[in-house]
Amino acid sequence: MLELNSRFLIGSYKKAVEVESRTGNNPLEELLSVMFDSNMIDGILSSRIEGEFSVPFLVVKGDRVEVPSLNRFFGSVALLKKAIQKYRLSRIAVVAPSCAIDGLNKTQYYGIGCNWVKTAVALKVGILCTGSLTGKALTAEVLHLTGKEKRIKRFFYDGGLFYQTEEGELIPVNLSVHHHYINAACRYCLNLSAKGTDITYFPLKEENRAVFIVRSERGWRVVASVQKERPELFRFRRLKKEDLEGIVSLLREKALLNIDDILERVELGLPVPKWNDNKLRKFYRIWNAVEDYNFEEEVF
Amino acid sequence: MTFHRVSFEDDDLKLKIGFIHFSSCSGCQVAFLDMFEDAVEIFDTVELVYSNLLTKRKEIPYMDVAFVEGAFCAEDPHHVKLIKELSEKAGMVIAIGGCAAFGGMRRFSCGSQMPQPSHQTFIPLTEIESIKRKVKFAIPGCPPNPSLLYNFFLAFLERNDDFLLPFEFIAQSRDASGFDLIKEVVNKGFCVGCGTCSTACPSRAISFKDVCGKPNFDADLCVRCGSCLAACPQSFKPYPQPVYT
Ligand code: SF4
Ligand code: SF4
Ligand code: SF4
Ligand code: SF4
Repeated sequence: MLELNSRFLIGSYKKAVEVESRTGNNPLEELLSVMFDSNMIDGILSSRIEGEFSVPFLVVKGDRVEVPSLNRFFGSVALLKKAIQKYRLSRIAVVAPSCAIDGLNKTQYYGIGCNWVKTAVALKVGILCTGSLTGKALTAEVLHLTGKEKRIKRFFYDGGLFYQTEEGELIPVNLSVHHHYINAACRYCLNLSAKGTDITYFPLKEENRAVFIVRSERGWRVVASVQKERPELFRFRRLKKEDLEGIVSLLREKALLNIDDILERVELGLPVPKWNDNKLRKFYRIWNAVEDYNFEEEVF
Repeated sequence: MTFHRVSFEDDDLKLKIGFIHFSSCSGCQVAFLDMFEDAVEIFDTVELVYSNLLTKRKEIPYMDVAFVEGAFCAEDPHHVKLIKELSEKAGMVIAIGGCAAFGGMRRFSCGSQMPQPSHQTFIPLTEIESIKRKVKFAIPGCPPNPSLLYNFFLAFLERNDDFLLPFEFIAQSRDASGFDLIKEVVNKGFCVGCGTCSTACPSRAISFKDVCGKPNFDADLCVRCGSCLAACPQSFKPYPQPVYT
């Protein structure tokens, strides 16, 4: 029987830490900058906002390190081939939500689309994500939530999901409203917390604070080396299981909305892509099964 | 998946493989040989018994597995003979690349070189009744990456069904182009906007539409290789989920 507990929602991890950057910068940007300086990575693949749009973005040495500040992550893997085959990067950090990392995993596992990816990725940072929005959808969502058009500067989690406007106003985001505006595919997503990455990252209320859920040995080595390299830059606080309860309940609320949509989609018999092996139907069976299921083995 | 047609001869335990060339640019064979050079060092259980580029043999011998590139040209007597021989002498056929699997460039029926001019008919192997039951797997790409061929080859020898299964589906689908990506993934509401299809496309037919965070497909540039749909994490996912450390 599948339970929406932290094992399912967050997945397994080594340690969770709250990271504060003492310089006032975003802690993930700070971490990646140190990694650049000490040659632990030679590129960052991610997305960023340019004007109205979220666009794929490749950071190479000398560029300003940026991680997405809005929950609009599109095209992160589009520059993978360029990074590996044109720039010959071999220690790439990828910062993206789980779905984009799935694309990367697939390229690594099968080798479809781009050569030599298996050994070219030095770190996978998964962004904890409740759905990705286009610029227009975000404008409409904010209009729905506040009755006004506002320019959103960043998103963060503080018990719930919040937007911060350019003027500093904080807008709590109702997840049911949010569910309506996110990208269609995000409504069927079951890996909101980016399981299978080295580190899951999510920003907190203060711009210089974030949570890193460190999952892999490699992720832990990175955090330890950066801490050793520049101890003056960060303050780390180990989080207990209870400290993650807020984010677990937010993920549960969102996962329930997604599961409703998956069940409905299966019941309506809406089509899935050919070659898909109907993962949604598989989830439907697992969700309705009474026996215990090792869902950690499954990829939906 | 059934391997019953692949047999190891008692007196020779090596798996006999061949590379057969139909109407194509030979790019797939070059990618295959690229991969094969690395692979034979690891797999001493394999013997390349036929390749029009590498072996001197005129006659096609019996092969456990024939890797085939290119589309069948219906007006070419050599191809007619070749397809008959293939159905008799190959235990299993693996279609390599867009031309053999989906028609690829040959779907345009133009721009072919002199021996196969533009008025002729080109058909992918997956559509030919006499051979298609032997086509167990199709590998997308134009050409497929050597690293995909290598991983496939390894999985094939290890009989790693989880890895091979999607390629069995692909062999049955006969068609894949950027239109399929749009129809199968984007139109059905499964596109997450990751950009993997755009990185996988060898001909820049897929760019990224910033306004909606989805792929933008330019049919004029598509060579029908199927890489975009195969690379898309929403078409099939790696199973079990790999985590690389
Ligand atoms: S909700 Fe899921 S599918 Fe959507 S962007 Fe986030 S990780 Fe990707
Ligand atoms: S699939 Fe592409 S590379 Fe392979 S033979 Fe056809 S045109 Fe050449
Ligand atoms: S769009 Fe690109 S990747 Fe897709 S089938 Fe056409 S050429 Fe191949
Ligand atoms: S690879 Fe698939 S999910 Fe990703 S952008 Fe292309 S169509 Fe969308």
